Amino acid sequence: MKSRFALAFALAHKDWRLFWADRRAAALCFVVPVLLAAAFGAIFHKPASAGGPKLPLLVVVEDGGAFARLAANDLLASPRCDAREVSRAEANELVANKRAVAVVLPVGFDKLKDWEPGAGGSRPEVVLLHHPSASAERQWAEGVVTDSVMRRTAREAFGAKESEVAPPFRVSAEAVSAHPGAFDSYTHSFCGMTLQYLLFWGMESGLLLLRERQRPVWLRARASAVPLGCVVCGKALATAAVAVLQVLVTFAVGYFAFGVKVHGSFAGFVLLACAACALAAATGLLVAALGGTEARARNVSILFILGACMLGGLWVPAFLLPDWARSVQDALPTAWAMRGLEAVTWQRGGFWSAVPGALAVGGFAAALLALAAVRLKLAERAARNGGST
Amino acid sequence: MPLPVALELADVSVRYGARAAVCGVSLGVRRGEIVALLGPNGSGKSSTLAVAAGVLDPAEGTVRAEGQLRTSDPVAFAARVGFVPQEPALYDELTAYDNLAFFGQLYGLCGADLRRRALRALSRVRLSDRAAHRVGTFSGGLKQRLNLAAALLHDPPILLLDEPTAALDPASRDAVFADLARFRDDGHAILLTTHHLDEAESGCDRVGVLDAGRLVALGPPAELLRARPTERAVLYGHLRTVPPKYLVRAIRERLGRGAELDVTGRRLRLAADTPEQLGVALAALLAEGIDFEAYRTPAGSMERALREGCEVARV
Repeated sequence: MKSRFALAFALAHKDWRLFWADRRAAALCFVVPVLLAAAFGAIFHKPASAGGPKLPLLVVVEDGGAFARLAANDLLASPRCDAREVSRAEANELVANKRAVAVVLPVGFDKLKDWEPGAGGSRPEVVLLHHPSASAERQWAEGVVTDSVMRRTAREAFGAKESEVAPPFRVSAEAVSAHPGAFDSYTHSFCGMTLQYLLFWGMESGLLLLRERQRPVWLRARASAVPLGCVVCGKALATAAVAVLQVLVTFAVGYFAFGVKVHGSFAGFVLLACAACALAAATGLLVAALGGTEARARNVSILFILGACMLGGLWVPAFLLPDWARSVQDALPTAWAMRGLEAVTWQRGGFWSAVPGALAVGGFAAALLALAAVRLKLAERAARNGGST
Repeated sequence: MPLPVALELADVSVRYGARAAVCGVSLGVRRGEIVALLGPNGSGKSSTLAVAAGVLDPAEGTVRAEGQLRTSDPVAFAARVGFVPQEPALYDELTAYDNLAFFGQLYGLCGADLRRRALRALSRVRLSDRAAHRVGTFSGGLKQRLNLAAALLHDPPILLLDEPTAALDPASRDAVFADLARFRDDGHAILLTTHHLDEAESGCDRVGVLDAGRLVALGPPAELLRARPTERAVLYGHLRTVPPKYLVRAIRERLGRGAELDVTGRRLRLAADTPEQLGVALAALLAEGIDFEAYRTPAGSMERALREGCEVARV
């Protein structure tokens, strides 16, 4: 038993040495996830001091009347919009380039000043110009314009004061979450990119084993009667060791440069990190076991890993994903790992909030490892009997 | 008194799917003896060696290393056999010493014993001064010597070498055979494969001729030669550069039916019916700019022995 452990350790040590033999490639293993995490964090980052988002709005005034002028001024002064007045031609061009939504106050808009509730007859038509892909902004603009114009109409048509046109209720927003913390884009992206690159490292490690199995060194290993279990353990150990280092480096940079913190249980974070490293090791062994040629294995692995990362909510927060994507998340280890990491970081969850994710990821890792071990055993048996390796 | 048989193959067969690569080969290699397996490509040399090394399981028959069956105790069997694959089975990224240390651990060596054996193995192949150098910086000859050292680490009584001189220049090839001769004198049983007749003829104690997976002849080279005197004149050469294929084709056409030209990488074999024709063929080669680094014409040749053996097997 002791000699088997020593053998597995020797194989792991060899992989560790091979990893560091190409120092630039090894450095990139740590630099790339940090760069990507920083980029994703910056994209989704909303500074706390900037207040809510403002609607970019273009105002086109085609009616020369005083009421239309006042309505336009209201829109231009609205704190909910980042509005400016332009010509119709300018508005068309900017909207086509998806820079903003435009509201056109048409000729005859001034008639609204004489409007009475229940009055029939023709009504002026306010036109909203929007890019086909900006339907959310169109609806937002419709709400802003309706509110602003109705207030102005009430004041002009009925002589109401500013305080009288205010809605008879107040709206207050309250964020509801299972955890008390506030969303932090950098924490989310560092968790996501770390997980993604753990899987990519697992793939690279698996491809190394695949290459070794096709090289003469494997003949020497076979001639020395090394048990397959030692090969599997050694590879898993080496992959997991580098993966742990990757987690440490990525989160250390995140902590010092971007303020990424484990606000919740640190023990839960460690548990999840260990489970994720085991998943990386199992992924690598599966790649080595199932891969035919290196090019084929690499392409298929990238497809699966990117798919699992995208659907698992590693790139963008899960609440931004469509319903169908969220419905498949329970079948993905990446989603479980991400939920767990988010729970113990920005959601400030305790140790037990990490346990379901860690158990699920550990379960996936064990299943993949078992599948890889069985497949490698069958492949070795076939190779010994004159089949292909 | 002859030394005991160290490696024994009994009625060994190997199949790749439905194709039989080795059929009923029986062979024994004694300690202090070098035996070469000779034959054309696809004759089953490497498969026979792979079975002997425990890399392949035979479909039929048994392999014993010092009386030990692989099936009963793979680790004990592996401890008795040192295998040298055809291409260097080494990690280019690691140093020579680190490679040996790793391969030694595969055989259960560790600590001071591992260090002592690794240094000794490096010394045996005269690579002590390159111990700390990365293998990626080694020439083909140095890699092959380190490849051999890796097989010697656990001090096995049996050495198995798959085409150990393929892609080596004449000086490196001579160095490998000098090493093998020393190991033979140390009492190792050595089985190697080659498709170069001159190597089998000059460097080995016995030669086994394989054709289509069958052992068609086995004996000392001199004995095989005495029984079948040479008819053809042969020249073995080593070229300075690999000649382009179109040039080899053109020369072959010019030589006509009386002479044969085979070029494998930088190795060349030229055969003709008479020494005069051989001289004419050699002149034609030199006229085409083929540049020899070294060449020799063996006093005796196994050409005919090999050919006749194969013909008998086919009948």
